Amino acid sequence: MVANVKELKAKEVTVKRASPEEKRELSFKDEICVGCGICEKICPVQAIELGPINAIERTGAEESKISIDEAKCVLCGMCSPVCPVDALEFKIDDKSIKEMEEYPKLIKSSEISDEECIYCKACETACPRDAITIARVLPDRSKLVTGEIEIDKETCVSCGICEEMCPADAITMEHHEPTSAEPTVSTDINVDKEKCVYCLICKKSCPVDAIKAVCRSCSYGEYDLNPEDTEIKGSSFIDEETCVDCGWCEEICPVDAAHVEKAFEGELLIDQEKCEACGACLEICPCNVLSFPKEEFGKQGAENVRAEEKYCIYCGACEKACPVEAIEVKRTAVKHTPTKSKSWDKKMESLKT
Amino acid sequence: MVELKVDQDKCLGCGNCVVSCPVNGAISPEAAGGHGPKTEEVIMMVENGLVKLFNVDKCAKCGTCPLFCPTDAIYLE
Repeated sequence: MVANVKELKAKEVTVKRASPEEKRELSFKDEICVGCGICEKICPVQAIELGPINAIERTGAEESKISIDEAKCVLCGMCSPVCPVDALEFKIDDKSIKEMEEYPKLIKSSEISDEECIYCKACETACPRDAITIARVLPDRSKLVTGEIEIDKETCVSCGICEEMCPADAITMEHHEPTSAEPTVSTDINVDKEKCVYCLICKKSCPVDAIKAVCRSCSYGEYDLNPEDTEIKGSSFIDEETCVDCGWCEEICPVDAAHVEKAFEGELLIDQEKCEACGACLEICPCNVLSFPKEEFGKQGAENVRAEEKYCIYCGACEKACPVEAIEVKRTAVKHTPTKSKSWDKKMESLKT
Repeated sequence: MVELKVDQDKCLGCGNCVVSCPVNGAISPEAAGGHGPKTEEVIMMVENGLVKLFNVDKCAKCGTCPLFCPTDAIYLE
């Protein structure tokens, strides 16, 4: 007995078929999908239909980004390896075909080398999909400076100026209301040497010269510091599920620690004459490729929308989203692992436009 | 499938949808400039103080007009 079973969990769709010989399962993750429509184009039996992506992204329509017609779906799995963001997973007997050599897959990757990474977090901030997490452990501030500081408590008049001026909050006084038994405004003053950066502001601001302090960092800092203590440690993490290999991390990284390999090569063409600057493409693009050039607003002959093609993955979502056909996305090369199956190879090659 | 719809009870007749619609702009460029379209070939126009859909089949469902409508009188559903 062979039967299709369609499971619908929120917007995630799974189409299953189990026979005594083999179990096949196609699952779709709506939150990962970018609405490019490549699966719709590639499906040999027209079982996939792209949903109203603009309405979903811009006006909050509660619909699934694609719909899979289980009556039509033959569970061939071709939609899975062509998805540029891995929103479609196809499994045979519980094993993903991405783990099977005989099936082709797109060659794409994003990596951050921990050896080169200086944990500046630029990539984390720039990533349009919030897929990057940089965890860093900073050295103790006290281990990056050396010096000496001492407050002559006899000379100190407890004015509190140093406490107020200290930029590192290293000086604390024990303020209290004077009594006849203790006729002072403060009973003690202390410097926390873990916090002190030997900036000498306290020394310079003390009205009675009660503070003796010297900074060694400028003259002898190099010799005083233990290089191990000054090291910034950390780790980087890319969430492969949400990452779309757009290349923002590679472009923004100041030390070339991020490396991105893209599956598609191509061209992004915008007809500025046709563009009505509605902004649909800006919102749909998963890679923050497009923007409105603010500095040119209102100028004659200015671009309506600007594209930074280096971040483009040529998925074509913008072309689909454009209501006035002002965008054309060309795919000239598709990098994928080889397959012996001619029909699969043909499908992979058909992604070229 | 979602469609472009209008709730005339909510409409203020401001015309934001008419001038923001990129398809209107492509059909009747003066609409994009903030003026009333010169042809009924556009998707929507203000008539007698209320928005009216003329050619809803031309709507590409880009979701621009709902973003500009102050009263949610035009929407995709």
